[in-house]
Amino acid sequence: MGIEITLIESRQQPPIGVGEGTWPTIRTTLKQIGITETAFLRECDASFKQGSQFVQWVDGSAADSYWHPFTLPAGYIDRDIAPYWLELPQRQPFAHSVCFQPELCANGQAPKQITTPEYAGLANYAYHLDAGKFAPLLEKHCVEKLGVKHVYDEIVRVESEPSGYITALVTHSGNRLAGDLFIDCSGFASLLIGKHFGVPFVSQKDVLFVDKAWAVQVPYRDENARIGSATVATAQSAGWVWDIGLTSRRGVGYAYSSSHRSDQDALAELQSYLSTRDDALAELSFRNIAIRSGYRREYWVQNCVAVGLSAGFLEPLEASAIVMIELSAKSIANLLPSSRDVMQHAARVFNETFRYRWERIVDFLKLHYVLSRRTGSPFWTENRRAASIPDSLRAGLDYWRYHSPWHDDFLHREEIFSAASYQYILYGMGFPTESASWLLSDSDRNLALESMRETAARAKALAAALPTNRDLLNRVRQYGLQKI
Amino acid sequence: MANVVLLDDHTHRNLRVSRHTSREVAEVNVVSVIPREFQRLVAHYPIFFIKSSASGRFEPAALLGFQPKENLYWTDGQWRVAYAPLQMQRQPFSLLPAQNQVSVAIDLSSSQLESGAGDGERLFLDDGRPSQYLQNITSMLSALVSGSTEAYAFTARLAELNLLEPVRIDVTFVDQSEAKLQGLYWIASAVLKALPAAQLAELRDREFLEWMYFQMASVSHMSGLVARKNELLSGATPQARTR
Repeated sequence: MGIEITLIESRQQPPIGVGEGTWPTIRTTLKQIGITETAFLRECDASFKQGSQFVQWVDGSAADSYWHPFTLPAGYIDRDIAPYWLELPQRQPFAHSVCFQPELCANGQAPKQITTPEYAGLANYAYHLDAGKFAPLLEKHCVEKLGVKHVYDEIVRVESEPSGYITALVTHSGNRLAGDLFIDCSGFASLLIGKHFGVPFVSQKDVLFVDKAWAVQVPYRDENARIGSATVATAQSAGWVWDIGLTSRRGVGYAYSSSHRSDQDALAELQSYLSTRDDALAELSFRNIAIRSGYRREYWVQNCVAVGLSAGFLEPLEASAIVMIELSAKSIANLLPSSRDVMQHAARVFNETFRYRWERIVDFLKLHYVLSRRTGSPFWTENRRAASIPDSLRAGLDYWRYHSPWHDDFLHREEIFSAASYQYILYGMGFPTESASWLLSDSDRNLALESMRETAARAKALAAALPTNRDLLNRVRQYGLQKI
Repeated sequence: MANVVLLDDHTHRNLRVSRHTSREVAEVNVVSVIPREFQRLVAHYPIFFIKSSASGRFEPAALLGFQPKENLYWTDGQWRVAYAPLQMQRQPFSLLPAQNQVSVAIDLSSSQLESGAGDGERLFLDDGRPSQYLQNITSMLSALVSGSTEAYAFTARLAELNLLEPVRIDVTFVDQSEAKLQGLYWIASAVLKALPAAQLAELRDREFLEWMYFQMASVSHMSGLVARKNELLSGATPQARTR
């Protein structure tokens, strides 16, 4: 009884091997499927990620940097303190004022202690992980613990009814695999949703210009080198460089627009980024990757649902790839049609939900570019052209001129980027919101100021109590974390 | 500041050490213990499990008081019960690595050291051989080392079998003051009751089951510990008033 799952993995489709950033949802996902945090951290060379730092996105000056931490602004559940931060004549940067986490990140500190139970934290966190090691861990766990059948084979033919409804997949080795529901995880090949069903690809190239990346693995200079607590995204002439720290190495890459920068020039720019950080270039091997930003018009057709790259991909600026896979898996599990009759309904709900999510990610990524005041390179100035900005984002920006983003601006309960994320980006980048005075009150102002004072005190207390990322990860390697 | 040096039968030939635990050592409210002394501890102390701040691993510990530095079993150099945890008895000695082995070391800053001819114990006999006292200390120290390994094996297995659970203790004392203790764990008795026979047998064979029952029984001393605190509070209050 129950559900039988068979995974057909192609040996001919090499894994992409980037996408090493995650969202805090990953903790719930891993816990739910039964992988211990200790095993995950050890086997994937994973480290703790507490957010992102955006360097030189605002105006490109030397001191230009702001944070998007994972921990929500202080008092976020009860009241919006952004308007009261905005009216302060003298103030700390927004993220520092409303959240204790940027200070921990700046110090390279961990979000928890060795005595903190698995998957719990004193600050909200996700991970940086080695995707090349994460996949085998998942495979082993799914096969050994969850009863998934795993075969290496190539899909050569799709058997279907005239409506397109898939009845079986025929593989290179001559097997015929019949099934009720087919999940297309074939990556960019998009074998089922793209090739079989012919669902068109909705390109976002005219909104998000990045279409290529150079990626490189950079060794640490010594085994005690600092492990960063956040993804550092540094703006460049035609895109941005990611820099993340695992326990074993750093992962660095330049996501750029090939219309604005040649591959060779982009490589030179990435090498210069590394050189200014004293990284030795001689031993490094740089890989060039194509990024096709966009998503399918539909993800679930008949009895087939696309998850992962087959459904879509957007530049990795906010690490949205893995979280979309988690959300898809969760939705499929919750919607799982018990019979063919209800397949249509599940498909409709899934398609509407995920279309909305892809669109919101596009809006949110674009926001980072639209708010930039960088000049001197067409990539940045063209990014601010009205024609390249989605209507939904433009409407939001108009509204946020007079109202700080708040829960009610958003339609869904599970927004992929909440109002909090919008606040961190908008006010990190100096967006001017002018709240009408009649929307503000003295009692809320006092509570907001109190929240900011508490945040500063909390930052100080946690900075004194938390170990560095490196220190904690070494201890996890040696002793493991406790379940309780 | 601690000043720990290796013990030496020349330099320390005439040194005397008091058996009375010094204030700086005794004034703690939690002390790490080993399973081999559970049987004696269970006569007096509540035993729980706490997490080591260095490794996060569970270790058994006796609870001595409700506030940091509050040891309700010790007053003015004297233990008020017949047995003091080994971790207290071994003071001011420890083991230090020296030339591929470990040797006994002493903290010269300890107030248990006596230079004059007090009632302290001699460490060495006149001919340089270790005294009975020092021999006892040495075996105590090695018991603590092997006991710590045993304790971690014990707690690791308990954690693996989900046999540990956090316990929160809220107490109100006679003067209406309150104490909330966190970070303590004990045996999850519901899990133990439902444990499959094979695992139960394994715990029995490794002596773990016996230790678990000592721990569970020891918790009854919580009321005694509260009584000690209440006694202290009600004794101190009238004095404070007359002053």
